[in-house]
Amino acid sequence: MTRIVLGSEPRLLNVLRAVVRFRAQEAGFSPSDSEYVALAVDEAAANIIRHTYRGSCDGHMALEVRRLPDRLEFILEDWGPKVCEDKIRPRPLDELRPGGLGTFFIYSFMDECSYDQDYKKGNRLKLVKFLGKGCLRNDGSSAKTR
Amino acid sequence: MTVQVRKLDKISIIDCSGDVDLYSSPRLREALMAEIKTNGPSVLVNMSGVAYIDSSGIATLVEGLQHSRQTKTQFGLFGLRPNARSVLELARLHKVFTIFDAEAEALEKIGSVKPFDGV
Repeated sequence: MTRIVLGSEPRLLNVLRAVVRFRAQEAGFSPSDSEYVALAVDEAAANIIRHTYRGSCDGHMALEVRRLPDRLEFILEDWGPKVCEDKIRPRPLDELRPGGLGTFFIYSFMDECSYDQDYKKGNRLKLVKFLGKGCLRNDGSSAKTR
Repeated sequence: MTVQVRKLDKISIIDCSGDVDLYSSPRLREALMAEIKTNGPSVLVNMSGVAYIDSSGIATLVEGLQHSRQTKTQFGLFGLRPNARSVLELARLHKVFTIFDAEAEALEKIGSVKPFDGV
């Protein structure tokens, strides 16, 4: 198990990505899939910075990576206001607008994504990636969809 | 991430390298908007050095595209690495952007790209 605590600073996201890439490759994911897994976790952390802490660098978040026999779990915790899970939805892709793709990438590359409703100190998001399951199909579509 | 701007005749080339994420994308945005506003008619983003791009980086490129349409600037990307291309394809943006494989092709063809291509 790996656990790191970071400030809510965008410049620290590369540290988080490095940890995720390392653990994903160690678990047997290809460099390419490790990159997609890192992107999904990065997007979740960026959402904490942007939405939970509203861009303030004064907050903190923790990333825990757990290796289980069949999967990797990424637990992201923050100590900000509770997010409304119902409002977190990927945007339709037929809209051409600058924002809103982060959640789409999280849902596309991860196999499970859920908030711990019993966590009272802030938010605890669990992202799951099953071992041996790639992120994209050969045609470039998400391995989750279709 | 580093961002450098070159001028070749009437074409601005923005050489971007490193990771384009929530931290660094504002620097790309600044360069992109400045070139589209002031130096058209053609702006190309060299992505060959971009090892990683997240949704904020993609949002910056989409913003650049939208702004280029308003200013009738020819706008294109070239040198996308496989992961960056895959992410654009997954988001169905590969058909929205004008994308060239390499700089030589981009320089040759950007002049014939209509500013509203890819709509």
